[in-house]
Amino acid sequence: MRIFGTVFFKELLIFLRSIGLVAVVLYSFTIDVYIAGEGIEVKPKNVSVGYVDYSNSILPQKILSHLHPPEFKKPKPFTSQKELSQAIFNKEILVGLVFESDFEKSLLTDGKTKLNILLDSTAAAQSYITLYYLQNIVMRFVPQKEGFELKTHKLFNQNADTHMFISFSEFISVLTLIGVILSAAVFVKEKEEGTWDIMLLMPVDSKIIILAKAFSQVFIIICASILSMGYVVLTIFNTPFNGSFLDFFMLTLLYSLTLAGIGLFIASVSKDIMQVAQISILIMMPLIFLSGAWTPIYSMHPLLQKLSLLSPLRYYIEGSESVVFRGTATVDLLQYYIPLAIIGTALFIFGFKKIGRLF
Amino acid sequence: MDLIVNRVSVYYGDKVGIKDACVEAKKEEIIGFIGADGAGKSSLMFAIAGVKRFKGEIIYENYAYHSPKEAEKIKDKLGFMPQGIGLVLYPDLTVDEHLDFFSDIRELKRDEEYWRYRQRLLKMAGLAEFTDRLAKNLSGGMKQKLSLICTLIHRPKLLLLDEPTTGVDPISRQELWEILDENRKKEKSISLVSTAYMSEASKMDRLYLFDDQEIIASGTEKELIDMARDYTYEETECEEGCITFNKRTYSLRPLNAKKAEPTLESLFFVNALKKNKIPPPIQIEPREQKIEIPPIVMEARGLTKRFGDFVADDHIDMVLRRREIVGLLGANGAGKTTFIKMLLGLYPIDEGELYLLGKKISSPEDRQELKSKIGYMSQLFALYKDLTIYENLVYFAKMHGLGMEKALHRIEKLSKGLGFDKYINEFPKDVPLGIKQRFSLAAAILHEPVVLFLDEPTSGVDTVARAQFWKLLHQLKEKWDISILITTHYMSEAEYCDRVVVLKRGRKIADDTPQNLLKRFPNAKSFEEVFLELYKESE
Amino acid sequence: MKIGVIKAYMLKEFKDLIRSRMIFLVYIMPTLILVMFGYGIKLEVKHSRLIILDHDKSELSYTLINRFEHSKYFNTKVLDITENEALRMIKAAKADIILIIPQSFEKRIFHKDKTEIGAFIDGAFPLRAMTMQSYVQGVVYSMIRDLMERYHIRIKKIEINYRNLFNQSLRDENAIVPGLIGLVLLVAPAILAALLIVKEKEKGTIFNFYSSPVKKSDFLIAKLTPVFLLHSVNIFILLLWALYLFKVPFRGEFWIYWLTSEIYILISLSIGLLVSIVTNRQIVAVILTVIITVIPGFLYSGILMPISSMSKEAYIEAHLFPVMYYNHIIYDTFLIGQGFEAQKNLLYLLILIFYAALLFIIGSALLKKELK
Repeated sequence: MRIFGTVFFKELLIFLRSIGLVAVVLYSFTIDVYIAGEGIEVKPKNVSVGYVDYSNSILPQKILSHLHPPEFKKPKPFTSQKELSQAIFNKEILVGLVFESDFEKSLLTDGKTKLNILLDSTAAAQSYITLYYLQNIVMRFVPQKEGFELKTHKLFNQNADTHMFISFSEFISVLTLIGVILSAAVFVKEKEEGTWDIMLLMPVDSKIIILAKAFSQVFIIICASILSMGYVVLTIFNTPFNGSFLDFFMLTLLYSLTLAGIGLFIASVSKDIMQVAQISILIMMPLIFLSGAWTPIYSMHPLLQKLSLLSPLRYYIEGSESVVFRGTATVDLLQYYIPLAIIGTALFIFGFKKIGRLF
Repeated sequence: MDLIVNRVSVYYGDKVGIKDACVEAKKEEIIGFIGADGAGKSSLMFAIAGVKRFKGEIIYENYAYHSPKEAEKIKDKLGFMPQGIGLVLYPDLTVDEHLDFFSDIRELKRDEEYWRYRQRLLKMAGLAEFTDRLAKNLSGGMKQKLSLICTLIHRPKLLLLDEPTTGVDPISRQELWEILDENRKKEKSISLVSTAYMSEASKMDRLYLFDDQEIIASGTEKELIDMARDYTYEETECEEGCITFNKRTYSLRPLNAKKAEPTLESLFFVNALKKNKIPPPIQIEPREQKIEIPPIVMEARGLTKRFGDFVADDHIDMVLRRREIVGLLGANGAGKTTFIKMLLGLYPIDEGELYLLGKKISSPEDRQELKSKIGYMSQLFALYKDLTIYENLVYFAKMHGLGMEKALHRIEKLSKGLGFDKYINEFPKDVPLGIKQRFSLAAAILHEPVVLFLDEPTSGVDTVARAQFWKLLHQLKEKWDISILITTHYMSEAEYCDRVVVLKRGRKIADDTPQNLLKRFPNAKSFEEVFLELYKESE
Repeated sequence: MKIGVIKAYMLKEFKDLIRSRMIFLVYIMPTLILVMFGYGIKLEVKHSRLIILDHDKSELSYTLINRFEHSKYFNTKVLDITENEALRMIKAAKADIILIIPQSFEKRIFHKDKTEIGAFIDGAFPLRAMTMQSYVQGVVYSMIRDLMERYHIRIKKIEINYRNLFNQSLRDENAIVPGLIGLVLLVAPAILAALLIVKEKEKGTIFNFYSSPVKKSDFLIAKLTPVFLLHSVNIFILLLWALYLFKVPFRGEFWIYWLTSEIYILISLSIGLLVSIVTNRQIVAVILTVIITVIPGFLYSGILMPISSMSKEAYIEAHLFPVMYYNHIIYDTFLIGQGFEAQKNLLYLLILIFYAALLFIIGSALLKKELK
């Protein structure tokens, strides 16, 4: 145990002394997470709208008055449909509305009328949601069947605020990548600097050295995670924390162990940091791909769905988001705890054995 | 004069590389730059080669240049080989492809004359049979020789070689010098060669001695040796202001002793005295823990290591006795490092038996208990660069299971005894190589081992520091009854060993005391020549 | 310019790339990124797990359930559980949407009484939540409308007649894949170019250049041409993936795509060159290149946010990076096909050429034949 402590604190000290590394870790876990949350906006915002009004009536103006900031920029008038199309082609306008000359008249006489919308759908995400916004706005002008209403509630996040969500996703990506690289680097650095042999010759059980080295990095990652979650995600973005912090902590701990296992494996096959970086990316890409971070797992091909059962990231993402956003109770988290613990332990033992062979 | 270097200074930010250096050279001359690591030799080479900004003026064949840009004009006449083994080679190109590449970037015409010259270079370098081998698969010596012939392929008129022989075994070194000598005669070129081997000084026409970012002396070897003559005495007891090493005592004050014949190394001791940089006396205290040491500490019987088809060590027998310093010598790739790594258990043993402290080693468990009896210091002075010297030592002590109190006590004693106590809170990168070397040794002996394995512990370290180091090893032997197995490239150091074992291509070709070996080859002037004779004899 | 010298250097570069297996990285990485992200970023959400609590059990509610069951967007289950139990299923991530049909829903509708359907959507993934919300609304409203028509209830309505320009089917692939090409062709050549120079610095072989009479321009040509040629092949490989794997339409002219991409690669090379000037270690070069290419490559590509929707500062920044100009032309060649009839495309091409020239000139001016 004393040896464990010695190695553990030595690694922490070495980490703190490597200013570059500390800077990278701090940057990734704070500023990077912040920038991602602040800078990337997926909801329609500032959508540029153009319109042509051939009808010269009041209704179009009424509709246009509903297109207001922050979702829409002030609609810009065009004199002809051709001009409007050209503006869309030039990517100056994302959505174009064309009110035909009989737009209002038809509604009054026939009870229905047509609104022509031109959408630049190269930006599919925005187009999608803009269209749906417009449908909603227009719907308000139609006296609905008296009394009926569809009330939708977005649970846990009524405004579908994406800032904290994206910063949280970024936090998970950063945790994953840094976690693997740190725990691989702590071994590969010894190879690079030639201290590997010295390490082997210590009259100490190699298992203790490996464990102490791996856990020192897990410790660093956990500290960085608490800083990132506690300060950036929760404080700056004011994310409500709906579940128990202990659950989040435990899940992160289990996940960090999994990452350390992958890191140990990478360390056992790499000669230098450059290789660590390359192999990490090759291993992490499919893991992230299969995690449900991008495509919901239930939307995947059935085969991929099966494969995703193997991705530890899947359980961590679902689990931690359940804790943070959904406020899920511990009992219901067992479905993440158990597989994460199994995969984590398996990977850690595998990595441990792999690197142990070099001792 | 065909090359005049006039008050050249090189700076790296605030740090001085070399200050106000003046050098002159004529055609056909070989000029030697001699000095410790970091004394400024490389910086001056960079300036002359026009690869680094400098202050001052360099005139080559009446063309003066003051910056790398102006130096462009002389670069077609220039051949520059920077310091570092295989530094200018591409690991994934073969020997032939290197020569092609270096010829092409110099736009050499491929006439008959060219091919003849190329073939001769290859032969001289002993690479003619290995033209298809990738550079990464060459041994260190072969890499150096390949670098050299790549530098020579365009027949440069101004040749700058920065430590071309460091880390190269005597055989390869001799070939290197033959190539150089032929080139200067044939091409009438100027060669500037820096070296850490004093024995090579005799091959130079004139020498420049570097110390502390300055040139401290210049002249022929004889002139330089004469400078030390007044201060060199036969070994004698001396209280203060003197250094004793290798049967000689150096002192600025007249001593009541017989004068002795100085060597080039003597000048460095004298210079240290003049600059009042007398190394502190080394004081090793007796072991804290008394232990019984068996008369035979290590015995290897038919140790063999194979890498695929290649036999790195072929049935080597060897014995290491109590209180014995054994030097393990051999050319690059002779199997020295592999042998030590087998003894340490860093490589598994393919065949043969190994006994450590009377115990047969057959499993990793057997080793585990013995690890605390063994000390090891690697070629690279491997230390944690992000820990201070003190922290490094504490770490090593704790790993060896020493209690904090005991650890601190020993660290204090060793740092004082080995004379690096004032550097103890510095980071390894900030201390001179000699200090690094001593503190690496301290890390290796903190746990008071009975046997010490040292893999090229003296490479690149200056003369005075090296002398200190050997004194240290002898004291350890005397006071601790320790046994030491050491590999080295400095053949002169063989004489400080009790016994030497010589390896060649994985086989043992000699195992005797240096005195006996010198007797066996009465014509050999130095141990270096003994070594060459031994290799020739076993052809 | 000395052809012999350049040839020798290039030959060495190619051998090195092949023998060190870097060549795999050159061709695998871009394809990997394109395939993974192309498949990975899906905005469409299929098979979301919908739980309907039908408290009405009327003909109308069955019709509604039926509509949900026939939608590819939902994986519908009608359960007889309490609302709290259903909520717990969402919390346990076993369901995404709960739809509650109230008692006497049918009766109230026909009596024009006030009634409401409640939809509870898991908002943990906000974008997904919004998408699911729009699906639910679509199904419910269309049913109500059809209901009205069936009973000939005349209501006033505005029909939306929308035309998705360029991407009629609103396919994610069409929207994302061209942008990804813009990202990959910015990142990959820059990394390789930076590595080829920094590798020599790290190993020390750069001295062969420093101390030889090889001209700076020759060295640059020799170092950058292999990267240029290798990645020129990627232009075609990526196009093939886009056309045949992701079935993105190609409406423009091939030579415009080709020419613009080649110029774009030149820009990327020059960025790599600039990185190689300030760094001495390979790992640092890779990290630095990734930071200065990936972030603008994503942010200002228009994948995440249309340039026209950006705030003032971001809008200006977007115009400072070459990504935007390239993407504009690329989206045009894939989805629109105006080519250089549109003056904007021509202008943007000129801007790209200007960028390539500017960055290359700065890079070669800063590269010094000496140690720092």
